[in-house]
Amino acid sequence: MDYLLSMAPLMLQGLRTTLWLFFLTALGSIPLGMLVCILRLSKYTPLQRAMQLYILLMRGTPLLLQLIFIFFGLPIIGIVINRESAALIAFILNYAAYFAEIFRGGILSIDQGQYEASTVLGLSKIQTFFGIILPQVVKRVLPPGGNELITLVKDTSLAYILGLGDVLRASRTLTNQQASLIPLFLAGAIYLVLVSAVTFGLKKAETKFEYYR
Amino acid sequence: MLRVNKLSKSFGDKKVLDQISFEVEKGDIAIITGPSGVGKTTLIRCLSSLETYDSGTIDISERRSEKEHPVGLVFQSFNLFPHLSSLENITFPLIKAKGMNNEDARKKALELMESLGLTGLEGSYPFQLSGGQKQRVAIARALAMDPEYLCFDEPTSALDSKLRDSVGEILREIAKKGTGVIVITHDREFAEKYSTKLYALGSELDRVK
Amino acid sequence: MKKSLTAVMLLVLSVSLLFGCTSTDSSEDTWTDLEDRGTVIVGFDDTFVPMGFKDGSGEIIGFDIDLAKEAIGRMGLEPEFQPIDWNLKETELNTKNIDLIWNGYTITDERKEKVNFTKPYLDNRQVIVVLSGSDIDMKADLEGRIVAAQNASSALAAIQAEGAAETFDGGEPILFDTYNDAFMDLEAGRVHAVVADEILARYYISERGEDKYKVLEEDFGDEEYGVGVRKSDVILLEKLNDILDEMKSDGSAEAISEKWFGENIVK
Repeated sequence: MDYLLSMAPLMLQGLRTTLWLFFLTALGSIPLGMLVCILRLSKYTPLQRAMQLYILLMRGTPLLLQLIFIFFGLPIIGIVINRESAALIAFILNYAAYFAEIFRGGILSIDQGQYEASTVLGLSKIQTFFGIILPQVVKRVLPPGGNELITLVKDTSLAYILGLGDVLRASRTLTNQQASLIPLFLAGAIYLVLVSAVTFGLKKAETKFEYYR
Repeated sequence: MLRVNKLSKSFGDKKVLDQISFEVEKGDIAIITGPSGVGKTTLIRCLSSLETYDSGTIDISERRSEKEHPVGLVFQSFNLFPHLSSLENITFPLIKAKGMNNEDARKKALELMESLGLTGLEGSYPFQLSGGQKQRVAIARALAMDPEYLCFDEPTSALDSKLRDSVGEILREIAKKGTGVIVITHDREFAEKYSTKLYALGSELDRVK
Repeated sequence: MKKSLTAVMLLVLSVSLLFGCTSTDSSEDTWTDLEDRGTVIVGFDDTFVPMGFKDGSGEIIGFDIDLAKEAIGRMGLEPEFQPIDWNLKETELNTKNIDLIWNGYTITDERKEKVNFTKPYLDNRQVIVVLSGSDIDMKADLEGRIVAAQNASSALAAIQAEGAAETFDGGEPILFDTYNDAFMDLEAGRVHAVVADEILARYYISERGEDKYKVLEEDFGDEEYGVGVRKSDVILLEKLNDILDEMKSDGSAEAISEKWFGENIVK
């Protein structure tokens, strides 16, 4: 037990990084993803194309590369940001693209009849979107959206490239210092707990939506 | 009065409606029959503003402003909102589009549901309802908006013959209360029995009764 | 479709042009900025024992850390220690995310093209570490064997300079992001030898058990450690050199050396 406790400070340091990166990325990328999705579905072609390009770039290049690009590249055009902000921006921009496509799939899967019924009943576009479409979309995107969040938990370890120590990095340092693999198991256990928490949260959300089919 | 004058609509090269003209008065049950694909659905979609048209006019004397929706539509597949209960399906447009408060909307919705024999199903969700029940919720939802005219797209297609007549009775009730009813159907028997004006749509619209 | 393809190409082109002009920003001396800010940021690989590393409780300690604290303190400024990825150290320095590279940083001609170095303060050798039961005794025995080193390290440069890499199994050394990983692989028996800084190797061996490892007599060359400074930072370099000289002559460098190595190895 003492042994595990001796590893605690470094692991906790790492865990803190993993957690804030996860929560803030989720908080930022989900709304941004919805916004990108709406713009992507707009009738104004240049806007559509711009969003398609953004989504292509974010999904088409490695997140690791984007992290390096944003941290080291932006200062060249005059935008200087600290490490944590750079990591957060890269993660949010990247995940927003994935969420945008998830939302788009959800929105397109809504029957056209829902829009038509709303129109003949005199509902405005905004009322239709927030009252009729979005609630149905949420139910549909919970599984793939949840998947993304689970991937995010583990992707946080990429922050090492900007010198940000997360759980994985801490466990690697400890493994070496302790001459044992136990810290790695500990890191694995921590990830399992985090992913289980996300899975649990998702299940709860999915159950909430089971009141209709 | 709803007057359609020389209405034409093409989809690309295909001319679907060619100079169609007819009139419907409040209290009428105007039924338009014809084989599938002939343009019946397109016609009522034009009437309920779901579709634009190329030429001709649709004049509704009761309409007061651009923004109003004097023509309602009950879809063939009902298009109920699956995430809302039966009651909410009716109250939601009342509250949002008509600006009614919750109390009044609820009252009105309950009255309508009762008149259509839906009492007890207020909290049920569309997936829990039978075809006939869903249709009546859809009708209640459309009626709640007090349309001057109400269109029905193939109201008997999903139902067995027993229920057909109950739908017919509902149409008569609606017409009696002063709404103009416009129905499209390929069910000739139903059309003959319940129409006050009967039309056949082919390449032209012919008045049959 | 054509329109958006052109747009994409224009975008890619302009971005790469932007990246082409990297030199503009690092051309001014930042001394006054550092003074205004009051801090000097030292970049280091936080697994590089014993020069600068995070111990089990997350504390940043090390020989270079102690030297840096003293030296920067004498400039009237506060040191800040920032862990970085060793692969990106010169980029971190030149984009001003750190101000000094101070972490067992070997002086090489290749690196001199990217950064300036202070005068050397420590001697080093690139030694070859094997498991104690290994049949490898001489450098020549490395032929056909699997050898590991840290990526972007001077060990790698030394191996390549001697042309030894071609003789290894696979034609090149296995590269790891940190020496942690390299030594783990040695213990796993997946690599047969690790080439590393003598100082790091000796510290590592003393922590893990002298009897487990063997350090060969032959090595991959002598080296010296220096502190990496941006080319444009002339004032910082001058001050640092002066202060290091001071510390060498007034015994403070010696004290730090005794603390970490039991003897004075500062040159």
